[in-house]
Amino acid sequence: MSEQAHAAHGDDHGGHHGSVFIQHHYDDAQHQFDSGKLGIWLFLAQEVLFFSALFVAYILYRHHHPEIYAYAHKYLDVKMGAINTAVLIFSSLTAAWAVRAAQLRQKKLLVACLAATIACACGFLVVKYFEYTHKVHEKILFGRYFDPCVSSGGTPLLTRSNECPGSKSSVIWDKTTGGASSGCFGDVALDVDAGAPHVQADCKVYEVQGTETTKDGKVEFTEKGRKEITARCFDPVFGPAGGVGGSSSNAQAYPCWKTNANPHVCKGGWFFTWHCSGPLCAKPFAGEGPYPTQAACKEQHAAKKGALGSQGDAVLTECATSGASGFLVEYGDHTVRKGDVRIASECKTPAPPVASTDPFADRVKPLALGQTTTTTAPPLTHADQKAAMYAGPPPEHTNMFFTIYFAMTGLHGVHVLVGVFVFIWLLIRATKGHFTPDYFGPVDFAALYWHIVDLIWIFLFPLLYLIH
Amino acid sequence: MATAHHDAHDDHDDHHGIAHTASVKVLLGTGGALMMLTLVTVLATRVDFGTNINLAVAMLIAVIKATLVVLFFMHLKYDKVFHSVIFLSAILAAALFVGFTLMDSGQYQETNIWDTDNPPIAPVGPRPTSG
Repeated sequence: MSEQAHAAHGDDHGGHHGSVFIQHHYDDAQHQFDSGKLGIWLFLAQEVLFFSALFVAYILYRHHHPEIYAYAHKYLDVKMGAINTAVLIFSSLTAAWAVRAAQLRQKKLLVACLAATIACACGFLVVKYFEYTHKVHEKILFGRYFDPCVSSGGTPLLTRSNECPGSKSSVIWDKTTGGASSGCFGDVALDVDAGAPHVQADCKVYEVQGTETTKDGKVEFTEKGRKEITARCFDPVFGPAGGVGGSSSNAQAYPCWKTNANPHVCKGGWFFTWHCSGPLCAKPFAGEGPYPTQAACKEQHAAKKGALGSQGDAVLTECATSGASGFLVEYGDHTVRKGDVRIASECKTPAPPVASTDPFADRVKPLALGQTTTTTAPPLTHADQKAAMYAGPPPEHTNMFFTIYFAMTGLHGVHVLVGVFVFIWLLIRATKGHFTPDYFGPVDFAALYWHIVDLIWIFLFPLLYLIH
Repeated sequence: MATAHHDAHDDHDDHHGIAHTASVKVLLGTGGALMMLTLVTVLATRVDFGTNINLAVAMLIAVIKATLVVLFFMHLKYDKVFHSVIFLSAILAAALFVGFTLMDSGQYQETNIWDTDNPPIAPVGPRPTSG
C-alpha cells in the first residue's frame, strides 16, 4: 500500500520504471504494457469465437426459417434497441477517451470518462431490464415458455397458460342439453361445401378457452380467448387405420386439430376434435379416411371413453346434430389445461377463395418456365400482407427466435455487467492517481474489452431488431 | 519516458511514450460517424429493397461500424501488426465456422421436413446411397 501511496504522488523512484506498478519481472514499462496488450488481444480473439457459436445458431435458424424472423422481430422494440446502440457507442467513445486522458495524465478527465462509461453501461442494463420484464410479463420467452398473449402485431391470442388478462364473452352452457342456453357460444356449423372436401367451406374453427363454473345445474363458461385452428393432426382413430384403441397413448389415440400457434397440441396430452358426417361432408379428408356417421360418432366416443379409464373424466363430449350431419366435439384434458377448452366455429356461406396472406407464398411456388406473371396475384399490397401476418398467430417454432434472442442478448448483457465492475475498479484506481503515462495498461485493456462488447451489439442490433 | 512534450502535441496522433494516443479529432469523428451510421441503419429498414438487400445493407453498415471501432477506438490502425493478425484470425475462424455449418445445413434441407403439412417435393433422380 505504501507503494501505491507513492504512485499517487507520481513519484519516479524506480529508475526507468516510472510507475510503482511496473512489475520487477518486466524490463520496463513498455515491456509490461506490450505483454498485457498481447494478452488482451488474445482474450478478445477468444471472445469473437465465443460469440460466433451463437451467431452460427442465429444464421442457421434464420436460413431455415425466414418466416419466423420476419414475424418475431416485430415483438422487439426498435426504439429501445436504437437507444441502447447509441448509449453503447457513446460509452465506447468515453472509454476510448479515458485511455487518452490516462496517457496524458489528465486525471479529472480520466475520472469523468470512466464515470460516464459506467453510467452508460448501467443505462444500457436498465433499458434491457425494461425489455426483459416486458417479455416476461407477456410470456414472449424462450423454448416452451413462449406463450404470448398477443401476436407480434398486437392482436390477442389464446394462450396455453390461460393467464392473459381480460375475457371476451360469457356463455351459459347447459350440460343436459349439450348446448349453450345463453350467449353465442357453441354455434357449431357445418362444412357446407360438399364439392371441396378438404375445405371447411368458409368455416373458422376455434379452440376456445375459458373457465367453467357451475350454477343451478347449469355451467357458466366464461371465454377468455380463442385461437383459430388451422391444421389437422393425423388421426389414427378415425383415420385409415380405423377403429378405436389403435394406440394406448393418449396423444396418439385421439384425433385432434392443431393450431399454428400451438404446434404441440397433439403431443401435449390434451385433445379435441370436430367431426362432421352426413351427405354434406361425407367425403374424406385427404389421406385420413372417411368421417363417421352421427351414430358412429356416439359409439366411438363411448368406446374411447371406456378405453381412457381413469382419464375418462377429462373427456367431455357433445354429439350435436344439425340436419343430416353430426358433430363430435371433445374438450381438453383438464389435468393438463388449467381452463376448459371448447371448440367453436363460425361459418359463412361459401365465399370465393381468399388470396393467401402468406408473404412468402411466392417463394414456395416459383414461376414456371416461360411464365412471366403470376395469375393468382394477391389483391393485397405488401404492407397489407405484412399487417395480416403480424396480426395472426406466430408461425411454428417461433419460440426458437426468442431462445436465440435471450441467449445472445443475455450473454452480451453479462458482458456489460462485467464491464461495469471492471470500470468501477478503474474509477477507484483513477481517483487514487494510479494511472500515469507509463502505466495506463488497465484502462487501455478494459477499454478494448468494452469496445468488443460494443462491437457485438453493433451486429446484434440489426440482426435482432431491424429485420425487414 | 517522454512526458515533457505531451501537452504540446495534444491534438496529434502520436506515440506518447509506450503507446499511440488517439487525437480528440479522431475520437469525436469516429463517435460521430458511428452515431450517424446507427441512424442510417434504422432508417434503411423503413425502405423496402427486398428482404435480402435490406439484410445486406444492414450488415454492410454493421461491418463499416465495426471497422471504425476496431481501427480507431481500439487503435488497431496504429497498433502492432501482430494484434491485427490475432484479431483477423479469430474473424476468419468464425467465418469458417459459419460457412461450413451453412454448407452442411444445405445437405439436410430435403430430409428435414420443417413444414409437415407441405412436405417438399421429392427430387428427381436416384435416391442418394449414403448420408
